[in-house]
Amino acid sequence: MSRPRLDPRALRLARQVEGGGKRPRFALKADPPALHSRRRDPRLLRMRALVPGARRPRYDWKRDAASGAPSAVPAVDPVPANEPIRVESPAFWVLAVLDQSTGALDETDLQLLSVARRLAGDEGGVVALALADPVLATAGADRLAVWPASAVDPAAAEARAATVQALVESVKPRHVLCSDDPVAGGDIARRLAAKAGLRLVSAVNSLTADGRIGRRAGDETWLQPAPALMTIMPGSFAADEQALREARPLELPPIAFEAARLANIGLLPVDPESLPLDETDFIASAGNGVTDFAAFAEAAAALGATRAGSRVVCDAGLLPRDRQVGASGTVVTARCYLALGIAGAPQHLQGITGVRHVIAVNTDLHAEMIKRADLSIIADAQAVMPALARLARQRQEKP
Amino acid sequence: MTGLAIVVLLSLGRHPATGRPRRNPDDARALATALALAATRSGSRVLAVHAGDPRAPVLRDYLGQGLDELTVLDMPSGSDPLPSLREHLVALSPDLLLTGQRAENGEASGLLPYLLAEALGMTLVPGVVGLDLQGDQGRFTQALPRGRRRQIEARLPLAATIPAGTAGLPLPSFAAARRGRIVSLPALASPDPHLVAIERQPWRQLPRPQPRRLKGSAIDRLKSMTGGGEAKGRLLVDPDPETAAAQILDRLGEIGLIRASHQSVTSRDTDGRTER
Amino acid sequence: MLAGLAPLIVLACLLSGLVAAAWQTRRWLQGAPARVARLQGLIAMPGRYLVDVHQVVARRPRNARFHALAAGGLLASLALWCVLAVPPLRYRPLWGVLALVLALMLMGAISVWRRRQVDRPVELSGGGFDRLPLALLLYAGGFLVLALAELFTGPAATLFSSLGLIVGTFGLAGIISLAIGGPLKHAINGMLHLAFHPRPARFVGGKRDTGLVPLDLASARLGVERPVDFAWNRLLGFDACVQCGRCEQVCPAYAAEQPLNPKKFIQDLAMALAPGASDDAYAGHGHPGQALGSAHGGPGEPLIGAMISDATLWSCTTCRACVHECPMMIEHVDAMVDLRRFQTLELAALPGKAALVLEDLRLTDTLSGRGPGARLDWAVDLRIPLMREVMEAPVLLWLGEAAFDLRAQRTLRALVRLLRQAGVVFATLGPEELDCGDTARRLGDEATFQDLAGRNIATLSRYRFDRIVTADPHSLHVLKNEYPAFGGGYEVVHHTTFLAGLIERGVFGPLSPDGRKVTYHDPCYLGRYNGETAAPRALLDALGLERVEMERSGLRSQCCGGGGGATLTDIPGKRRIPDIRMAQATETGAAVIAVACPTCTVMLEGVTGKRPEVLDVAELLWQAVERGGIAAARSGMPA
Ligand SMILES: Cc1cc2nc3c(=O)[nH]c(=O)nc-3n(C[C@H](O)[C@H](O)[C@H](O)COP(=O)(O)OP(=O)(O)OC[C@H]3O[C@@H](n4cnc5c(N)ncnc54)[C@H](O)[C@@H]3O)c2cc1C
Ligand code: SF4
Ligand code: SF4
Repeated sequence: MSRPRLDPRALRLARQVEGGGKRPRFALKADPPALHSRRRDPRLLRMRALVPGARRPRYDWKRDAASGAPSAVPAVDPVPANEPIRVESPAFWVLAVLDQSTGALDETDLQLLSVARRLAGDEGGVVALALADPVLATAGADRLAVWPASAVDPAAAEARAATVQALVESVKPRHVLCSDDPVAGGDIARRLAAKAGLRLVSAVNSLTADGRIGRRAGDETWLQPAPALMTIMPGSFAADEQALREARPLELPPIAFEAARLANIGLLPVDPESLPLDETDFIASAGNGVTDFAAFAEAAAALGATRAGSRVVCDAGLLPRDRQVGASGTVVTARCYLALGIAGAPQHLQGITGVRHVIAVNTDLHAEMIKRADLSIIADAQAVMPALARLARQRQEKP
Repeated sequence: MTGLAIVVLLSLGRHPATGRPRRNPDDARALATALALAATRSGSRVLAVHAGDPRAPVLRDYLGQGLDELTVLDMPSGSDPLPSLREHLVALSPDLLLTGQRAENGEASGLLPYLLAEALGMTLVPGVVGLDLQGDQGRFTQALPRGRRRQIEARLPLAATIPAGTAGLPLPSFAAARRGRIVSLPALASPDPHLVAIERQPWRQLPRPQPRRLKGSAIDRLKSMTGGGEAKGRLLVDPDPETAAAQILDRLGEIGLIRASHQSVTSRDTDGRTER
Repeated sequence: MLAGLAPLIVLACLLSGLVAAAWQTRRWLQGAPARVARLQGLIAMPGRYLVDVHQVVARRPRNARFHALAAGGLLASLALWCVLAVPPLRYRPLWGVLALVLALMLMGAISVWRRRQVDRPVELSGGGFDRLPLALLLYAGGFLVLALAELFTGPAATLFSSLGLIVGTFGLAGIISLAIGGPLKHAINGMLHLAFHPRPARFVGGKRDTGLVPLDLASARLGVERPVDFAWNRLLGFDACVQCGRCEQVCPAYAAEQPLNPKKFIQDLAMALAPGASDDAYAGHGHPGQALGSAHGGPGEPLIGAMISDATLWSCTTCRACVHECPMMIEHVDAMVDLRRFQTLELAALPGKAALVLEDLRLTDTLSGRGPGARLDWAVDLRIPLMREVMEAPVLLWLGEAAFDLRAQRTLRALVRLLRQAGVVFATLGPEELDCGDTARRLGDEATFQDLAGRNIATLSRYRFDRIVTADPHSLHVLKNEYPAFGGGYEVVHHTTFLAGLIERGVFGPLSPDGRKVTYHDPCYLGRYNGETAAPRALLDALGLERVEMERSGLRSQCCGGGGGATLTDIPGKRRIPDIRMAQATETGAAVIAVACPTCTVMLEGVTGKRPEVLDVAELLWQAVERGGIAAARSGMPA
């Protein structure tokens, strides 16, 4: 793990910098964190690449913002330069309306772009309507229309819908794609459909070889030619690797928009501890093998994870009942479940069937939880937890 | 405070395992919200409307939530409910229209509330999990993915779509279901031409999507360089705590779960105000 | 000289007592009408007392002795007073008999006093009960002196006689005051309750009457909201409680310190019979975690939420341990279910996951929510014949909810293999089998239960079979004891009974002995509900296992905590019921705890730490058959 790993997206970005397709505003971190993932990871990508103008000042931006100058010094062996694919006047356009609901491109956005790309094929071009993000060029966008100031706020649904409508009228895309998130892309799509009298096909989850789209309706799949307006079911499509494209800025047409009727008051502060277990994304869970609950709380806090526990722990009153995971507790759908000292009784495992990543720390090599986990650590939880808290805080301070 | 006229739209749901009709969980939640709201404001009325078959037994379950009366615009299944609903609702001119976020049957595009709100000149707020009315000013809590919550303000008349949420639904009371009345009104049935053009196949679970790779991409080269297979199923026996912690953090990083200062970033950047 | 006065005073006291007692009846007569065979009941009452009550009381011989002495003495002395009140019958030797009777009663009274004051069991209530020994002592002592004095003449005799009269009359007055609203009202109410008992079938020659009574779903109010909604003879039962605390001692929820004490529960119901009731005067253990003095109610006021907390109601596992121990023959579980019916059917107010699961049950006919279509998913390789294909089979195998549980499927697998091995021809309903409705019914959802029962009975009526065999005692109970009220009448046999029968016939041939030490956990729904405690033990013995009994076993076994929907309502306590039961099993030093119910299996397997292995009786038998060699088993098979 001491050897720095190469990240392919970093490599591509390096190419992009050298190809000069965009303003040279990227810096590659000389020493990317030693991750052994070969998975496409937008966050990682961002983390490595995005520097100036970043809305997330945590990453590396000090160095570059301070210098104010391009400091693209690729740390990795330069791959032969690669010209972006240019599309001048395609047969048709596909408009991808991105949510970027965390402020940056995420998996859902990349999936949406992939579908747009597939629908565009070789003849079509993809217009992304998004917050400016340099990564878009590597994610398949030929053109980039940036949300106007009035529509930057993700809660400004009316302004966003009006923007999409104006763009649709000027670009006349063959297809418009939004995310299926009912408070983001899905909302915009429905507003647009209601205003413009368009038919909306929602929750599209498949694309056939002959270019038709499919979606689930009860115990049927409904297939039809790709419609003008659709929302894309998250997780149904993978984020494909894309060749480098231009993401050439596209001027927005004037937008007809009356005063907003919805006022965004703001986000309620989220405390991971107060989230209902079935809504949270990251759970640190303690079982009978955890004795040091102060260290457990500290580790969970350092990781920003929601605390939970097995039945034994909740029965003992060490955590409240609503923190119990399992058949008689809560069935969780978090992306990651960190199981500390949990044996993995069937009733417990029933509660995490929908969890994608399980990390287990257990002293027993044969514990069921170890079999379920994709990263297993055979060690005393009491020793691992403080180290975890310490290291997490350390990495936060100097990433 | 004057009473409110709250219209709730109720549809037939579908049990995911057996395909049997059930209350649509979103609609049931919308109804529960309406009943709770009406109870806090004297003189308020909850006008529940279903477009479809008045004999559907499931409608009794909605009554079982404590609803006295349910109006059914009688029409055969598969017809377009919009014209009749629009006509009916315009006559009621409600202050508040509450609907579920998504239907479980048929087209299920979630468009209906938007079309009705448009027709009734209402402001629409989606994904509402909490609402607080002061006079004609409403403050809504919206559920965002991953447990985040946003607050929105808007004025009556309002339409709100409501997700089922994760807390269990109110169980229908057998006695209340027995007591409630179903009032059936004849309604215009216009078949939905769009649905005819659709090819229907039995649904089957799709395999987990695999990303398309570019040929000879950096990834392939990288793979051969690092000689790694899938990272899944990694096992470390008795590492020292530091190594174990580093491994866990690395994996969390890969999954994209730890970023610097998890919490503050989350609440900051979704506010959407960028300094650009 | 006081010979004439004494009986008259006694009779006058007695008469006023009777008038007051009659006045008392209005407490329970305000209940709803009930169909009771009154005359038959009154005739049967002495028999019920001597046989059935005795059976319960005799489980504690010491208590039985003092009760016989004190109560018998009191009753006999009162009878003698009646005779003595008639001058022509007032033979002097009768005073001697009275003295003897009172002397015996005095011994009883002393035992009562010792039990109350010296080595007092914790489950007893205080309050009025603590005045009881004194009243009994004064009555027996005083009148003993009088009776003895009557055998003599002279001034000393007169002195003792009048002294005795005064003391005895005080005692008698005390007794009568304690009989009105006090502890001794149990004597009158208890007798009447025996006569007008809501489950007279309980007393018919060793029969068990444990099925719940159907609720008329068309009635105006579903279930019980207020005390007056109970039938009058139920109220009479509650009012008969002597607060002996036997139910408290055996209640698993109480042991786990969940907020339920069955004695307090019955007292709550009895106390609520008076307007403006509160539990201030209650002088026993309360519901764990709940302070005394906050309960309030009245005959016409809602019980749940005011007199009884909903957590109390939903803690009950319907294990019937309390009913089995109650010397007053009170039916706690019926009361629980009546109250739950109102909460569920009228208010739809259920805690925990219960509402969710009931909703799933209504929509899928299975508790797991997977639908009956998936009932045989675990057994694709076993190719179990379906009734709808074969139309008839000697044995219909009822699978139950176990078919959806990974652990319980192992038991079913063993059972199916054993049946095959024994050459039993059987079939299942498979996807036609709906949930039997046990959980729904015990959670008060009578509507769903009746719906499921009706449809299951309709399905069963299409096929021909001799008997139903099931590995689930809950299904067994419902099919056997509760479906008849809806038109289904079947011979239903538990798998342990059926397998024990096969072993007896030597079907499995020589079984290789298993030297392990085993203890058997009786499922409530097999033991107390259906009286089957012998077959599983016979089976274990046939396997050559060294069988040891837990402290509580057989009909007095302790619940695993899984019945009555308790896992769904999941009311927190200080401990968990299965942990308590497992501790009892561990204490025996057994290596295996044999179970005979899928719910018990899941509950006991959920206990962490070092503990005996949990294996169903069928699994143990299959292990033995496998070990014993299939060949050997075959050779033992009848051709
Ligand atoms: C009806 C029913 C419903 C149930 N529902 C649920 C439910 O919803 N949720 C639930 O969780 N359980 C449920 N259970 C209980 C379940 O069966 C298990 O008992 C429980 O999950 C075990 O919890 P555990 O893994 O924390 O404890 P244990 O089984 O005691 O396991 C502790 C684990 O920690 C490991 N360990 C010990 N020391 C250390 C150490 N120092 N460092 C690291 N590891 C260590 C051990 O190797 C072991 O694997 C239910 C049970 C029943 C009967
Ligand atoms: S209910 Fe029965 S067992 Fe319980 S205290 Fe009363 S008389 Fe005794
Ligand atoms: S049935 Fe069992 S759990 Fe319920 S009160 Fe009686 S002893 Fe307690």
